[in-house]
Amino acid sequence: MSEITDQQVADRLPDMWLDRDNVEFYRGLLQRRLLINRCADCGRWQQPPFPICPSCWSDDVRPTEVSGEGTIHSFTILRAGPPLPGVDYASGHPVVVVELAEQQGVRVTATTADVAHEELRVGMPVTLTWVDRGGEPVPAFRPAASA
Amino acid sequence: MGTMTVRYPVRDQVAIVGVGTTPYSRDSGKSEMGLVVDAARAAIKDAGLTAKDVDGIAGTWVRAELAQAALGIPAVNYYLNTRLPPFSQQVVAGINAVFSGLCDTMLVYHCAYRMGGTSRSAGGDPFRVSRRGMPRPLSPFPDTITGAACYASWANRYIEEYGASREDLGRIAINNRTNAGHNEHAAARKPLTMDEYLGARMVRDPLTVFDMDYTIDGADAFIITTAERARDLPQKPVIVHAAVLGQTDHGVEEDLPDLTDTGLKVAADALWARSELTLDDVDVFMPYDGFSVITLKWFEAIGYCGVGEAPGFVMDNWNEDADRIEIRGRVSVNPHGGSLSEGASQSAGHMREAVNQLRGQASGLQVEGARTALVAPGGFFYNAGAMLFRT
Ligand SMILES: [Zn+2]
Repeated sequence: MSEITDQQVADRLPDMWLDRDNVEFYRGLLQRRLLINRCADCGRWQQPPFPICPSCWSDDVRPTEVSGEGTIHSFTILRAGPPLPGVDYASGHPVVVVELAEQQGVRVTATTADVAHEELRVGMPVTLTWVDRGGEPVPAFRPAASA
Repeated sequence: MGTMTVRYPVRDQVAIVGVGTTPYSRDSGKSEMGLVVDAARAAIKDAGLTAKDVDGIAGTWVRAELAQAALGIPAVNYYLNTRLPPFSQQVVAGINAVFSGLCDTMLVYHCAYRMGGTSRSAGGDPFRVSRRGMPRPLSPFPDTITGAACYASWANRYIEEYGASREDLGRIAINNRTNAGHNEHAAARKPLTMDEYLGARMVRDPLTVFDMDYTIDGADAFIITTAERARDLPQKPVIVHAAVLGQTDHGVEEDLPDLTDTGLKVAADALWARSELTLDDVDVFMPYDGFSVITLKWFEAIGYCGVGEAPGFVMDNWNEDADRIEIRGRVSVNPHGGSLSEGASQSAGHMREAVNQLRGQASGLQVEGARTALVAPGGFFYNAGAMLFRT
């Protein structure tokens, strides 16, 4: 996988607050990888990324790719907002908070794919996928394939 | 030599018991948070304490709820989130917070960081540019619930978890609008029916324009002095019986563990632990209502009902004829109309109404003989508080 420099992350995500604690999260997004900090000492997952582990204060926290499996913890549909390419407020832009399978309470917020707004439910099993927006990859969650 | 002519009872009452620092350098190789947690860990250890011993927090630039979360400080009864230096205000506030009993162990921090706007050599560093985003990590816009969208998302969670309905949110909006109709100071006074509420345009599902505060230009101001001096002034004194703040270590919007573990609950618990009065003494209740769902949660957190029971509580205490809430047929809730209808004052209007009610000078519906007012500012995540005023 080609390297993406810190400056390129900043240039490609100009509206994000970028720092040394979250740059790997954003670099991961640009590489279609969802990276969540995990403590190498006690195993705790932590989102948003902090420079230490809140449980054991270890400095050895490592951005780690997650399975992409989870459930919808809450959601909303945005009906208005600043114009952005590929975002349709008129028909409603869905935003879901997904509790990741890795650890209770660890959540990521993203949009959806392959699901009607009316079908969104708290507790719905979902899987990570990626959609294109303005030429950049953006994480999205679609309904998990039924077992 | 001092002559001790000014009132200063905190003298000799508070001490600095721990100190920590980081190297001072041109490029630390760390984030602001990285520097803050290094200094904070050093100071806490220097004092012979752990994160669990800290129950108050204040600082600059790095937001208090994020530093608290990063350090794993379980709960604080006092926080200060003044973004801008100078640092002196955080120190003074911390000393007074400890002296007053708001907290026992206060962590106060400051971070200096070279930014692109003030340092030429920092200008080319992507971590030092003048940042346009929010000072916390989040998903790229608009796929985020940071900011206003969080209450829409959590309102959906509330509805799902407790079997609530949009009507339950609507009753909060209707109560406040009914009350505002009696208040000439209020910005939105046109009566609101449930049909109108349910037919309103969605802004962020499940919240409509009626679930969100009514933005205004306006200001409120207060003069605060000692209770002793207040007796010599012309107005009937309004005494601060107890005033607290509350925040959990999950202050990022996505991260609230559930609807029971909120900043509201920390603040409510801290208030009742410091009060001689009880909820039965309260004559008028001013819960925050920047979003309707916050008021529902305040009924639960402050103790009027259990978790998830606010919709039933509101229905049980609804006065059909007056089209508003009257708790036990007596206690008014946001009699001025709150942020939803009087105007979005971020709780300044709630506090003004508390004072006016206790003076018997309410601009709208005066609670007869009101002697105790409860103001509950703030929301779920990082700005909750609770204040009891009495005559
Ligand atoms: Zn750990």
